[in-house]
Amino acid sequence: MNKWYIEKGDQGDVVLSTRIRLARNLEAYPFPGRLDVQSKKKVCAEIRDAALSDGSNTFRWIDMASLTPSQAVSLAERHLISPEFTTDREGRALLLTEDESVSIMLCEEDHIRLQVMQAGLALERAYDIADKIDTMLDQRLQYAFDERIGYLTQCPTNLGTAMRASVMLHLPALDATGRISSLAATVSKLGLVIRGAYGEGSSARGSIYQISNQITLGITEQAAIDNLRAITLQIVSQERAAQEQLLKSEAEIDKIWRARGVLSSARLLSADEFMTLVSLVRMGAARQIFNLSLEKLNELIVRMQPATINAASGQNLPPAKRDAIRAEAVRTALLTQGDDTQ
Amino acid sequence: MLCQNCGKREATTHIKRVVNGETSESHLCAECAASLGYADVFSGFGMSFGDLLGGFLSDTAAPQTQIASGNRCGKCGSSWNDIVRAGKVGCADCYRTFYDRLVPTLQRIHGRIRHTGKTSGSAGTHAPVREKTEEELREEKIEMLKKKMSEAVAEQDFETAAKLRDEIRALEA
Ligand SMILES: [Zn+2]
Ligand SMILES: [Zn+2]
Repeated sequence: MNKWYIEKGDQGDVVLSTRIRLARNLEAYPFPGRLDVQSKKKVCAEIRDAALSDGSNTFRWIDMASLTPSQAVSLAERHLISPEFTTDREGRALLLTEDESVSIMLCEEDHIRLQVMQAGLALERAYDIADKIDTMLDQRLQYAFDERIGYLTQCPTNLGTAMRASVMLHLPALDATGRISSLAATVSKLGLVIRGAYGEGSSARGSIYQISNQITLGITEQAAIDNLRAITLQIVSQERAAQEQLLKSEAEIDKIWRARGVLSSARLLSADEFMTLVSLVRMGAARQIFNLSLEKLNELIVRMQPATINAASGQNLPPAKRDAIRAEAVRTALLTQGDDTQ
Repeated sequence: MLCQNCGKREATTHIKRVVNGETSESHLCAECAASLGYADVFSGFGMSFGDLLGGFLSDTAAPQTQIASGNRCGKCGSSWNDIVRAGKVGCADCYRTFYDRLVPTLQRIHGRIRHTGKTSGSAGTHAPVREKTEEELREEKIEMLKKKMSEAVAEQDFETAAKLRDEIRALEA
């Protein structure tokens, strides 16, 4: 079965993926912050039994404590779990569908963090899938809910719908022209937040950003999604215009071809260099300077993250070895692509 | 102790700021605390939601929080000060116990304090759970008996099937 991230998506030149996350808790137990490992295991088992009793989704059960650190971090690099979930893994578990589009973190900040990922801009579809699973779980478990303030969550910032909808965007041209910070200021006034999807702090590796709704109380799921979609579409058209403008310059086009040249022939590629170059190449593909499949580039970005390379190799590789493996995988990917597009 | 910001008024608020595991502490007067945005205990949450660690929590010595500090959540035992100190709510019942004190915080984080989204079907005591009517219960029973009857027929257990048929007739009458 194809992983969700190699599917072709709507607005795929700029939008990599869509994610819906719902937080839920069981009424009968204190929130995870007040549970010991034994009780966390009990909560995990209860939710697992509820999830597996419905035949329509086949989940793989992963005891987080059984993973190596690389395997755990790799799940975070693929955005299947939060970075926080890779630490302190005792008493935590993950339910994951085969195509990795649905993952349920158990005993993260809340008892249940249900997440649905879809390629491209697909907020409605992702929400629909999440909503159905949520309703199924709701029929089998007693959720912590209050009619006044909605789904009760460990942190009051998530009360209400307890839904975070987010869209992952590739914004190389807005980044190159220094317009991300003003964009961030604008969207924050609209109840949204934008931040780098890879790496910490403000520097977004590969110019990949995530935009999501900030407010969850007093707004319906539909309104939050509509708001996010409308603003995402505006950013998408701004980014496209900025790319067109940028690529009027011969020097910029040259940069893109050179980036492709390095990726196609390098023998060592660090994660940082790879992200910088693949971002340029992806912009070239998005504006059809050359024919490269965006989906394959998206997949490459996911596969080439450090812990994911370690996890795939089954061992903890020294960085130099990892850089060699990365360079080879990237060369192979670009080479095989050249064949079917030229 | 004097306020560490203005150095004039008496410090009444003790601010504990935790960012990525680093704790810094300061003592402020009420005015400075308010003007620096520390007046609200959860004001840090708006910035720290999701994957970001950190945010600040204030442990106030202000009279208003002293009064009710004896109150504890009946289910998990958290006091208001425990919640403030941890920056986390203990359990679902904490929200009900400390609802009135949380409202200003919620107002500040979300702008609104009334949930308008999806509702939980299995919602606890606060949700309007409608009792099933006599009629609905009777129909459910008939449904169940009919299912049992067709199972009995399929197994060629006609004696049981006949008994079930009589029961159904009696209910439908
Ligand atoms: Zn002062
Ligand atoms: Zn409690």
